[in-house]
Amino acid sequence: MADYGGSQHGIARTSRAQAQTADQRKLELDRIEKYRDLENQVRSHHAQGDYSPDVFQLTTRLLRLNPEYYTIWNVRRRSLISGLLSKPSHGSAPSRVSQSSSPSPNTAPPSANLSPSFSAAIQPFHEVPTVGRTGTTADSRDSASPIKEHGEESTENEQQRQQQDLDILVSELRFTIPLLLEAPKCYWIWSHRSWVLQEAIGRLQRAAARRIWEEELGLVSKMLFKDRRNFHAWGYRRHVVDQLEGPTLGGISRVESEFEYTTQMIETDLSNFSAWHGRSKLIPRMLDERGADDEDRKAFLDKELGMINEALNVGPEDQSLWYYHQFLMLNLVSFVGRATIVPTFNLKERITYMSREIEGIKELLEDYNNIKLIYEALLDYTIMLCQLEERQPDTSERADLAVWLQKLRELDPMRNGRWSDVARDYGLQEKITTPAAIKV
Amino acid sequence: MDSLSDTIWDVVICGTGLQQSLLALALSRSGKNILHIDPNEYYGGPEAAFSLQEAESWVATLSDPTNQNNAGNGGVFRAASITKPEATSPALKFSRSYSLALSPQLIHSRSELLAQLVSSRAHRQIDFLAVGAFFIFKAPEDLDHKAVLTRIPSTREDVFLSKAIPVKAKRGLMKFLKFVVDYDSEPQTEAWQPHADAPLTEFLRKEFTMEAELQTYIVTLTLSLDGRISTRDGLAIIHRHLSSMGVFGPGFTAIYPKWGGISEIAQVACRACAVGGAVYMLGTGIKSMQTGYSAEMELELELTNGVTVKTRRLVQTDEPASEKVVVSRLVSIIDSPLNSLFAAVVEGAQKPAVAVIAFPSGSLKTSAGKTWEFPVYVFAHSSDTGECPVGQSILYLTTPSITGSKEVLEQAVQSFLDAVSGEQVPHGVYQLYYEHLGGPAGSRTEGQVFKFPAASPSLSFNDSTLKVVREAWKEVLNEAATGADYMAFPDREGAVYDEEMYD
Repeated sequence: MADYGGSQHGIARTSRAQAQTADQRKLELDRIEKYRDLENQVRSHHAQGDYSPDVFQLTTRLLRLNPEYYTIWNVRRRSLISGLLSKPSHGSAPSRVSQSSSPSPNTAPPSANLSPSFSAAIQPFHEVPTVGRTGTTADSRDSASPIKEHGEESTENEQQRQQQDLDILVSELRFTIPLLLEAPKCYWIWSHRSWVLQEAIGRLQRAAARRIWEEELGLVSKMLFKDRRNFHAWGYRRHVVDQLEGPTLGGISRVESEFEYTTQMIETDLSNFSAWHGRSKLIPRMLDERGADDEDRKAFLDKELGMINEALNVGPEDQSLWYYHQFLMLNLVSFVGRATIVPTFNLKERITYMSREIEGIKELLEDYNNIKLIYEALLDYTIMLCQLEERQPDTSERADLAVWLQKLRELDPMRNGRWSDVARDYGLQEKITTPAAIKV
Repeated sequence: MDSLSDTIWDVVICGTGLQQSLLALALSRSGKNILHIDPNEYYGGPEAAFSLQEAESWVATLSDPTNQNNAGNGGVFRAASITKPEATSPALKFSRSYSLALSPQLIHSRSELLAQLVSSRAHRQIDFLAVGAFFIFKAPEDLDHKAVLTRIPSTREDVFLSKAIPVKAKRGLMKFLKFVVDYDSEPQTEAWQPHADAPLTEFLRKEFTMEAELQTYIVTLTLSLDGRISTRDGLAIIHRHLSSMGVFGPGFTAIYPKWGGISEIAQVACRACAVGGAVYMLGTGIKSMQTGYSAEMELELELTNGVTVKTRRLVQTDEPASEKVVVSRLVSIIDSPLNSLFAAVVEGAQKPAVAVIAFPSGSLKTSAGKTWEFPVYVFAHSSDTGECPVGQSILYLTTPSITGSKEVLEQAVQSFLDAVSGEQVPHGVYQLYYEHLGGPAGSRTEGQVFKFPAASPSLSFNDSTLKVVREAWKEVLNEAATGADYMAFPDREGAVYDEEMYD
């Protein structure tokens, strides 16, 4: 299907095995001719400004063969707007039917620079006011958003229109599914879905629109199941969740279920930086929404520390785990003007927690003595603890630092400059014992 | 019948066990004249799967004293019996709704066998199911407690989630798992090669200071029949287990073909060869053989149906050697789906159809009160395997065959059912017992006769089987073998799946 050209960031897509025999070559040439013919038909209709249902059918066939041909997606959308989807009833929102002379964000002309960045490709479709976290603002032209509230005019015609629109939008989503299975990272398929989802908000009753967005969340979960670390999918997930939580679709917080989702992803694969990161971002709002008091917050911190330490116990070489551990540590030491987990901890409590963590990490050295991330963490946290207590490292700490720095020189000689700086800051002797450590 | 005698066969293959069937698959596009016979009335030989009716006939045949070198079994099976708790159990469905596998084996995802099935296109006709978690049976501490099935961790995430292993022991286990992943290279090889022939358990204790419980977990992953697998063999299997994890989907390391396991592969392979022009005759064996004709045809075979055929080569299986391995097997049909065993390991992942449970050495006692020094392995199969009707499941138990093994296996079934029962204890409604002999000798050639070794009863498929099949293939094809690709064929129909999109 998607073998005809198409690359992503300069890396060619893998295509199926090429034709071998003369017969198969002829077959391929036939296919190419049929494709070119189809393409010419679409382009000529488009050049004449013809977006009739016939053209729509042609785009169906052509996009099945080459979903990366973004011009054809544009033609398809024009066709949907100018014919198949209903025109809005007179007097309400400004007409969404695009005249060929007035460009609208929904039907960018073929030369539009839909940037390769996926999130930028979504921007043009952000017409609905959101909760403000993403920073997008509503286009004033669309402030009269045609979301139909219950109680507005709902004549039988109106219901029929919406039902037809719903059918068409659902059918568009279904159309993209087999294309996505073949080319799960094709931006143009995803942007078409985004467009359909926005149309759902614009044209349907809130309940129907929300159902469509919830199914989208289901789809994103399936994508993440197939490729747990696809950061596009994580970003898209946040976008979908934001919309579902926003006022246009019902405004119910999903922070608990999203937090649980990160737990599931982590239990499936500890090395999921996106999941740990997402988790950390959800925590402040979640604790607020729970109305957590000091005791609850302390219990929560204890549980998170327990979990990350269990993870580090089996995967100390994994950087994403150390990032999360550091996030928890920073909640203890870097609390001024920030929404932390335990804002009312006094200094003594913070010092106790930090010391306990440092002792716990030292235990890892019993069995893992060649993993540089452990030594780095010990170094950083010892220094952090001293800063917290506003003092210099004591004698035994200095001895420890010297030993750890030596190990770091062996394990991470590329950063010798940094290790030397630290040694200098704390007046530690530089013991160069192995030739590998000498790297200027 | 005339054309059978007139043809000069390039090869007569006797027996449709896995080895012979894979040979047939390998030869299926060669254009050679192949006559493939089997004295049994069924395909699969020692790897066959039986309906209840077929099982009864088989047991009757084995028990019949007049059948010395009986129908194709060649000394592979003995001491077979069928027990039903009630004479006509109401739970038993009709005969053909069961497909009891004589040699249940799981196939690791990275097995060379799967690669060959794919390259030969035979995989298209096989439904592969996931083999799920491995469990250890832990006897109850006292009469107030129930026995527990503990999952054996084999990934980092398993170890992370396990509540049964202390913190420091987890670190030791992780170090071992990392060691095995690279066990083939320096410096790991220096660490284990001096102990290559010593038991794996000793190596774990000495080099990884592993406690007995964790040692048991590791040895169970190797599916070692006597629990005494060597370090060399054990590390190889665990390496295969670990490197197969997640290959075909999250959470599982091995697969099992639907409709009877290995027997299904044998049938598909024979079918492929039949499509390629081979002639198949069941219920036909070799009565006698004469050699020394002209240089053209080396062998003249008189078949049991009275027909005489001439062939350049004969391929059959050897009898089990004197250093044979003997295991006792029990097949028990259970009147419950045992759903708790077959839950998907990862949410959204494929539901497993097979679960492996081990009773470690020393966890069972014979009826005389002696501790059973070997492990007992239980393969639990859900109805998704097609081997039993919905609402039931099958337990396949295996243990080395010495005095008392049958009673120990029956006891294991009972203990197992007690452990997995909810409010109601499930029951066994049918039981097939037999002893299975095999291996370990290699192949041998006597003139124009190539003999496969009697397959060693093994719980996981061993790729070394494939080497012998390739040897046989080379012998049959002679010079033609050098140019040809082994087990690599294009799709027969030249299938094009999306032609209609272009119209």
